[in-house]
Amino acid sequence: MTSKHILVILFTLIVMLARASIIQAQDVKSIIESAWNQFRGLASISTVEMTIHRPNWERRMTLKAWTRGETKSLIRIMAPAKDRGNGTLKKDRKMWLFNPKVNRVIPLPPAMMGQSWMGSDFSNNDLAKSDSLLKDYTHTIIATETDAGKNVYVIQSIPKPDAPVVWGMQKLKIREDHILLSQEFFDEDHQSVRIMTISDIQMMGGRLFPKVWKMQKTGLDNEYTLLNHESVEFLDQLPDRMFTLNYLRHPERR
Amino acid sequence: MIDMDTKMAWRKIWRNPRRTILTVMAIAFACLLLVFMLSFQFGSYDTMINSSVKINTGHLQIQAEGYHEQPQIRRVVSDPDPIRAALDRIDTIAGYTCRARAFVLASSTARSYGVMVVGIDPDKEAKISSLKSLIRRGRYLTPADSQSDITGVLVGRLLAKNLRVTIGDEITILGQGRDGSIAATIFNVVGIYASGMDEFDRSAIHMPLKAFQYVFAMGNAVHEIVVIGKKLNQVASIQSTVQAALASMDTPLPLKVLTWEELLPGLRQAIQMDLVSGAIFYFILIIVVAFSILNTFLMAIFERTREFGVLMAIGTRPGRLTRLVLTESAAMSLIGVATGIVAGCLITGYFQTHGISLGDSADLLRQYGISGRIYPKLSLLSASLGPAIVWMITLLSAVYPALKIRNLKPVEALVYH
Repeated sequence: MTSKHILVILFTLIVMLARASIIQAQDVKSIIESAWNQFRGLASISTVEMTIHRPNWERRMTLKAWTRGETKSLIRIMAPAKDRGNGTLKKDRKMWLFNPKVNRVIPLPPAMMGQSWMGSDFSNNDLAKSDSLLKDYTHTIIATETDAGKNVYVIQSIPKPDAPVVWGMQKLKIREDHILLSQEFFDEDHQSVRIMTISDIQMMGGRLFPKVWKMQKTGLDNEYTLLNHESVEFLDQLPDRMFTLNYLRHPERR
Repeated sequence: MIDMDTKMAWRKIWRNPRRTILTVMAIAFACLLLVFMLSFQFGSYDTMINSSVKINTGHLQIQAEGYHEQPQIRRVVSDPDPIRAALDRIDTIAGYTCRARAFVLASSTARSYGVMVVGIDPDKEAKISSLKSLIRRGRYLTPADSQSDITGVLVGRLLAKNLRVTIGDEITILGQGRDGSIAATIFNVVGIYASGMDEFDRSAIHMPLKAFQYVFAMGNAVHEIVVIGKKLNQVASIQSTVQAALASMDTPLPLKVLTWEELLPGLRQAIQMDLVSGAIFYFILIIVVAFSILNTFLMAIFERTREFGVLMAIGTRPGRLTRLVLTESAAMSLIGVATGIVAGCLITGYFQTHGISLGDSADLLRQYGISGRIYPKLSLLSASLGPAIVWMITLLSAVYPALKIRNLKPVEALVYH
């Protein structure tokens, strides 16, 4: 009789644990998804000031970005005047560059995906494969912290065995109100290579938004790229024709 | 006065002229071979080095410090003009030119690739490197190419194939200028070159330097000043002279003078590897010769046992006998080594003037700017090192038979047969 009771209790415990771990896995992924949704929305139009800082020089650019979901984005340089009109179109995992001076649309070959985008600390891959984190990694919560009185989940993401990714590991810090606080990139030896930190969280476009993003090589405080969102507008959708090569080449007056 | 023992030794050698001549010739041949082969090796290194540096690197380069390790567009030689003036004053320099480089995305109608764009001074470049002679289709760059609306450029054969372009086609490039701004322009392919080195043919587009400086917002700056010296062995002295001249100049970024050894470390290592494998071969050769000489000396001793017996019976000390035999061996070695050195020098000297053609492959090599002839280089080192070792080894191999004499008992020796 006693042994039967024990068996039942054990069985229930095992089922409960199994369910809990499945829930756990789902939870982590949805935490990340909701953080991504928070700053992308269904569609968005934003104006960003990008500062590329190096030990002895600095460069500022003003960009305007249109995004739709995770897969489509169009970025145009608005300032300085010399570079105005240059554009980058991303559709799924493909990217094209446009330069008004030579009036050419140039497809970005896979070999150049690791190169920096527009000379910044972000790579072409960062833009093209922004959905890679959700698809190619398995995530676990390894710790919790607090920030501004709210819980922060520290998540470790390991690439799936055959995933086409360059990183050996990523570490994310996401606050419970769906704000991404930092994203750290590690190589195969789990040495930290780059880190992106968010600061200045404000209400923008009707929601809490990470305003300032800083991407730098780990340990090099004098070399970084700063993205300062000057304005953000969230929409339900943006027209398909915005994300075509034709539009990249000839933007209408809006 | 030459003492009696030496006279005896000398006469003894010529008692059996055939054996002596053969021994001497074996030694002479080994020496000749060593002199020629060492000279040939050193000569081929010179040819190898000169051909390699002529393709791209030059004997020396002046660059901003850190540029060689990490070629960033901002690491420039800001003002090459005073440096040019300083180089003009150094008479061991045969010529120099300036280059600038940038990494861009190059795009044709069919394909896009990441390539290096190199800005060159067409006239000076033709004197420094073999680029002009490597043009297979179209033509080389002229100064007019930098003024036309669409800049004329040279493309490597493999890159042209990858981009699916030919003479007259257009290539668009997109990159970053020195000031961080976006550099973009359209090129017109005027010439296609092939160097035989896939790496080189696949990775670069050559454009006029002036146009480069404009497109990439360089101002007057360049990345490399490539220098060719008149003689390979003067490179080190040119380096120190140039370094002294640079030290007295005030440059925004510190400059460094690199020799071809630092620019092409693989070349120095390839030469070292070849030296080691050569040394192994020579070592084996000398051992073989040593054994054959040992055999000859040993047989001679055995044949003369009765003679030694007689000499010892009439009172010659074993030590004196040993010395006698050693003197004979030394004399033969000396003649052999001397003959070998003289013959070796004569033969090497002849080929040093006329060169050794590489036969059919000579034509193939000439296409890539490598002359089809190798010139052995006779030097004090190559003429003396080999023979010196042969001399020592032959003396060493004479010691063993000579020592055997010490153990001879006169009575037994007298009746030996």
